[in-house]
Amino acid sequence: MAQLQITDLHVEFGGLRAVDGLDFEVEKGEILCLLGPNGAGKSTTLDLICGKTQPTGGSIRFEGMEISQMQEFRRARLGIGRKFQVPSVYKELTVSENLSVARSRRPGILHALTRFALSDGRAVAPILERVGLESKADDLAGNLSHGETQWLEIAMLIAQDSRLILMDEPTAGMTIQETARTADIFRALSDSHTLIVVEHDMSFVRTVADRIVVMNRGAMLAEGTIAEIESNDDVKTAYLGH
Amino acid sequence: MTSRLFYDLVALVIFALVIVLGVPAIMGFDGFELNTFARYLALAIVSLALALSWGGAGLLNLGQAATFGMGSYAMAMHLKLKASGDGLPDFMGWNNVPELPLLWVPFQSLAFTLLAGLMIPAFVGGLIAIFMFRARIAGVFVAIITLAFLVAFQLVVIEQQGITGGQNGLTGLAPLSLPGWTVDTYGVGFYYLVAGCLMVAITLGIFITHSKFGLILKAIREDADRTRFFGYNVANYQTVIFCISAALAGWAGMLYTLVLEFASPTYMSVSFSLAIVIWCAVGGRESVLAAAIGAILVNMLEGRLSDVFVEGWNLILGVIFVLVVMFMPRGLHGLIGSGWQIITGKAGKPGMRPVDTGAAALPAKSAQER
Amino acid sequence: MDAILNQIFAGLSMASILLMIALGLAIIYGAMGVINLAHGEFVMLGAYAAWAIQTYTGMSIIMALPFVFVAVALVGWLIEKIIVQRLYHRPLDTILATWGIGIILQQTVRLLVGAESRFVKGPEFLSGNTQIGGLIMSNYRLFVIFFSLAVLAGTWALMTRTEFGMKLRAVIQNRQISECYGIEAKNIYSVTFAYGAGLAGIAGALITPLFSTIPTMGTGLVVDAFLVVIVGGLGSILGAASAAVLIGEATALFSMLFNDTLGRIAVLAGIIVLIRFRPRGLFPSNTRR
Repeated sequence: MAQLQITDLHVEFGGLRAVDGLDFEVEKGEILCLLGPNGAGKSTTLDLICGKTQPTGGSIRFEGMEISQMQEFRRARLGIGRKFQVPSVYKELTVSENLSVARSRRPGILHALTRFALSDGRAVAPILERVGLESKADDLAGNLSHGETQWLEIAMLIAQDSRLILMDEPTAGMTIQETARTADIFRALSDSHTLIVVEHDMSFVRTVADRIVVMNRGAMLAEGTIAEIESNDDVKTAYLGH
Repeated sequence: MTSRLFYDLVALVIFALVIVLGVPAIMGFDGFELNTFARYLALAIVSLALALSWGGAGLLNLGQAATFGMGSYAMAMHLKLKASGDGLPDFMGWNNVPELPLLWVPFQSLAFTLLAGLMIPAFVGGLIAIFMFRARIAGVFVAIITLAFLVAFQLVVIEQQGITGGQNGLTGLAPLSLPGWTVDTYGVGFYYLVAGCLMVAITLGIFITHSKFGLILKAIREDADRTRFFGYNVANYQTVIFCISAALAGWAGMLYTLVLEFASPTYMSVSFSLAIVIWCAVGGRESVLAAAIGAILVNMLEGRLSDVFVEGWNLILGVIFVLVVMFMPRGLHGLIGSGWQIITGKAGKPGMRPVDTGAAALPAKSAQER
Repeated sequence: MDAILNQIFAGLSMASILLMIALGLAIIYGAMGVINLAHGEFVMLGAYAAWAIQTYTGMSIIMALPFVFVAVALVGWLIEKIIVQRLYHRPLDTILATWGIGIILQQTVRLLVGAESRFVKGPEFLSGNTQIGGLIMSNYRLFVIFFSLAVLAGTWALMTRTEFGMKLRAVIQNRQISECYGIEAKNIYSVTFAYGAGLAGIAGALITPLFSTIPTMGTGLVVDAFLVVIVGGLGSILGAASAAVLIGEATALFSMLFNDTLGRIAVLAGIIVLIRFRPRGLFPSNTRR
């Protein structure tokens, strides 16, 4: 059984059908890239999976469990993590505090009340090293550069250790070298994690994607490997207009 | 132990020495002076209670005076019953209340009273919190709802004369007798009782601030939505800190009744609630110790100045408050923090607000070099 | 039946006062997101200005209205320039700062004029009552109701039919872009704040014959006015008007059923519940958040 199954998903915003009868599945350990022109409903799809938006119809099953009506924090506890398009780190917290918040295996209040704020320090140190922020552990996240903020966010996702990670344009604003490094991290992550990535950078998609789903007008237009997608006539029409 | 926790504990020890040894020595162990100072210490507890929810979690509770008042009335009801012996409290007779209202009966027990003074405020605070936070009410709406609650609650207390003593409050109270000790509010022992309560409350507050719970609350303060996506039940976190804050306010209220030997509906007025906010803001809303010191300093100043400028004190207080909000949003605590960083030359280190140094505008240089 | 009609009239009279106070508040909140807790003190200043003008020149309060408006608007303008303008990016702190300003204004008046109640004469041509069957309406209250409707219409026209209103709405929508097109957002804000303060001043002057004029008179009014603004939907002028009528009538109704205090408690409780379930008010303005 697929890890994530989306069946006939719908959502409407005041008459606009942002997602309109979407179906697709994601296998465990896969990197799935969501492509599509602007307004195709890619980000909205991620919002629906993580619970930021409530669907008006259809079903989302994660590891066999129906989650489409569940609250966000419950979905997060099941193992769904999300990186947003706009970098969203806690600017008033230090880098290591950010990671402590992200490391949420036991999100209960009693557990939190009986631990010091940085009790996760040892656990998150290797993650900081992996993204090259170990020297900045005590800096406020608000003082990081744009690139470093992106790394911090990826580090937070690793710390959260979600089984399914949703990424919205993770390489936006990155240099070529940074993008390559991100691709390496993604490949390493996919051993134990499933990733759904919305991305416009085709060279990045070529490097990381196991499979691609192309969306248009809120529904799936095509799916397959990169080669299949690039030779698909429907996709060309959708991107170039007719 | 992190360095910030270390500094807070050092500051607490210094503060404790001043309060326990310094103040009584300066006042020459004079009962009357110490009683006045004990009043400030009780108010310091309610100020730090506000710092926990406002500074720690971004929830500006303008109804803090309501939970303070509940604790104060709980204690006053117990002492009033003791003062009345076997008879009914005097004001009930004036209001033609035939027998002791059911609400009053359990307050004959000291144990119940002490528990109720903490738990009733916590329970009411929790109800309001669940009511608000389940619906994801935040920011200014929290302030407005708690303010409206306070206004309504004070009206109820004044309206229910037969039970609460109405506008007059509860006066003519007996002294508190603990097992083996009848409290003399003008004795040195009483001063140490209040000071001890304050120390316990500050220690509790410091540990909450430095726990992971405190960290998650800071995260919620900055971005509640993001925190939800890490799996934290934001509404529950907010509710728990609201309850803790309310219980501490109730505790402060109980002590305040002991100090002043009466309970009055003015403890639940909008202006008293504002005063709490002012103390907390002056000291520094992000540190419980600073908020407590803020309450003590402002009240000491009031004690000195309101003798000199009887009418003008509130004007001075208003001016101080506006200046603090405008130029010292983090209070004296923030001022000391920035001063310390200038001295040690460690600008931009933890504790300092992110300063827009233009770093964000630079390309990700450090990452490229790697 | 007559009792009910009289209560409805009392409710309308209260609504008209609430409306004039809330209108200024709604404009200030809608335009700049500032919760102005000093608004009650602007009302109080208006009342004292009317008292001062009447005492020293003998002018009727109706004739004094333009002067009151200008005087209180000027105070509002100064406060905006000196204090509020620095706090636009810290909405919670504007609550605190304006609260502090309220204390300062209140205490200043107390020091200068004294704490005792001041008497202001209503205009003579509006003394007396109009009677329709069993319904007895004070002429002055009738005048206040119609005057508040006129102020509402005037404000609506100002916001929708003038260049100033267009600029203000542009700034509300998007401050940066408006500034790119040469609109000076800072000045627009100052003028708006001054206008809101001026309206509160007029309201204060008009209620002098109905309320006792004391330094603390604004404190109770500002909470009510605030609730009107929030119930009406933030920043919506017509919403505020509907909410003023709703709250005025609800207060009158509950006061008739129970008593004044319980009526007020019931209304407060109702409003708390309403904010909980409709935090954007009954008539939210139609924009995406």
